[in-house]
Amino acid sequence: MIVVDNISKSHLGRPVLENVSIEIPEGTNLGLIGPGGAGKTLLLKIICGLVKPDSGKVTIGGIDVHKLGATQLADLRFRIGMLFQNYALFDFMNVADNIAFPLRQEGTLGELEIAERVKKALHDISLSTIGNRFPNELSGGMKKRVSFARAVIRQPPILFYDDPTAGLDPVISSKIFILLRTMQQERGTTAVTISHDIGGIKEICDFFAMIDRGQIIFHGNRDAIERCEIPLVMQFWRGFSDDDLDG
Amino acid sequence: MSAEPHIEQPQTTSAAHNLLASVGEPILMIARTVREIFEMFSLTLYYVVRGRKRWPAIFEQMYDVGNRSILFIAVTLGFLGMILIFQAGNQALQITGDLQVLGGLFLQLLLREFAPTIAAMMIATRVATGMAAQIGSMVVTEQVDALQMCAAQPVDYLVVPRFIACTIMMVILTIFAVLVAYVCGAFTAYMAFNLNPRTFIDLGFITWFDPIIGLVKAFAYGMAIPIIACHAGLNVFGGSEGVGRATTQAVVNASLAVVILDFIISGLGYVVLGLL
Repeated sequence: MIVVDNISKSHLGRPVLENVSIEIPEGTNLGLIGPGGAGKTLLLKIICGLVKPDSGKVTIGGIDVHKLGATQLADLRFRIGMLFQNYALFDFMNVADNIAFPLRQEGTLGELEIAERVKKALHDISLSTIGNRFPNELSGGMKKRVSFARAVIRQPPILFYDDPTAGLDPVISSKIFILLRTMQQERGTTAVTISHDIGGIKEICDFFAMIDRGQIIFHGNRDAIERCEIPLVMQFWRGFSDDDLDG
Repeated sequence: MSAEPHIEQPQTTSAAHNLLASVGEPILMIARTVREIFEMFSLTLYYVVRGRKRWPAIFEQMYDVGNRSILFIAVTLGFLGMILIFQAGNQALQITGDLQVLGGLFLQLLLREFAPTIAAMMIATRVATGMAAQIGSMVVTEQVDALQMCAAQPVDYLVVPRFIACTIMMVILTIFAVLVAYVCGAFTAYMAFNLNPRTFIDLGFITWFDPIIGLVKAFAYGMAIPIIACHAGLNVFGGSEGVGRATTQAVVNASLAVVILDFIISGLGYVVLGLL
């Protein structure tokens, strides 16, 4: 269970997150939606301990993430996979080494086993032939899939996806969502998915939360969001706006 | 309902406050930066001792710091050696007319001061900027976050190979710098003043203190430059503009560190020598 308890965070004196609280039960996938700049990515980085909040706490399996030392935090991160919004592939490594990196860090598998796992991961994302290429030789969709493969190669029980389908065509987006759903069904992972692709996250998420201007304005399951009458939530969920673009 | 008593603050208090704030803020910022650099230095030493040694990354950095700086160091120290000997020779001729001690004193000056410090300045310019820009770009493209999410420590993974490589190569480049500057100086002395190289190459002024202090300086600069550069890179914020800022900060801070370390080590060296 992941518990976000009353998190606040300011940047240059401006509040970015204010008293955010969410619970993510084990084995469920939370869909995090909201306008750009609302604080979704920051919240995700706070949950996984990359950014320290000004106040509040985050516990993963009862462990307070922000009270851990560097070594303990690294141990916790062996159980977490993260897909970054801008891929975050290591540009000094080829694709195969990028995917193998988390396994090499863990240090429990031999090189032969790692090579097998990487080969399978590349096959799963339909990119079997690009292991020797470098990230700057790949398209956006390829980078996203490689980043996904790197996030899940350790088969972690907790996964964070930051806009897994941003900038991808509908076919690749659909493939990515199928991969996420398969992961969820086969391994019972606990996940948080940030996405603007409402159709996609409807398929894979059990719970939904909406952030606007640093505050959670909705948190509930699918039935609740279908029935929600908060205008912004309705607009996001149904994909339309009554306002002018400048309004 | 009682009204709050209105107390008018004297204007001088506000002005004094502003003045103190404008002086205090940069001092606090410098103190914070120095503290962070020392923290990074101690963490780096910890990982040098306890961490996994990534030799391919260390050799890659050694190539980048060392091999790619050889021409730069050779040209700079070579020309500096020629200029110094030409100027010093002319002055010596005007004052004493004797050039016998020129080579010996020049070698002493090179070993103690010029070779390590000028070479370090060159490395601070060429290498520190590269390190800060490279790591800074990794920060803004979330690669450093990704490293952490893969359970890698950025200091262990990024700083330690650069630290080891720069420390080793700085010592080697300093020895190379002494040789280049001395050979160029000997050549200039021969061409300009017809001073025989056998007279120029004079070890009579050199004590064990001279090469040791030079090597201690090279070692200290070699440790300080990558730490300062990596600190600037890892603290980048604000996209490509932030990377530019970090690059400038790296070269300025690294050059300052070289000058300050030079002062401290020279001072300590003379104190120690005085005690012996």
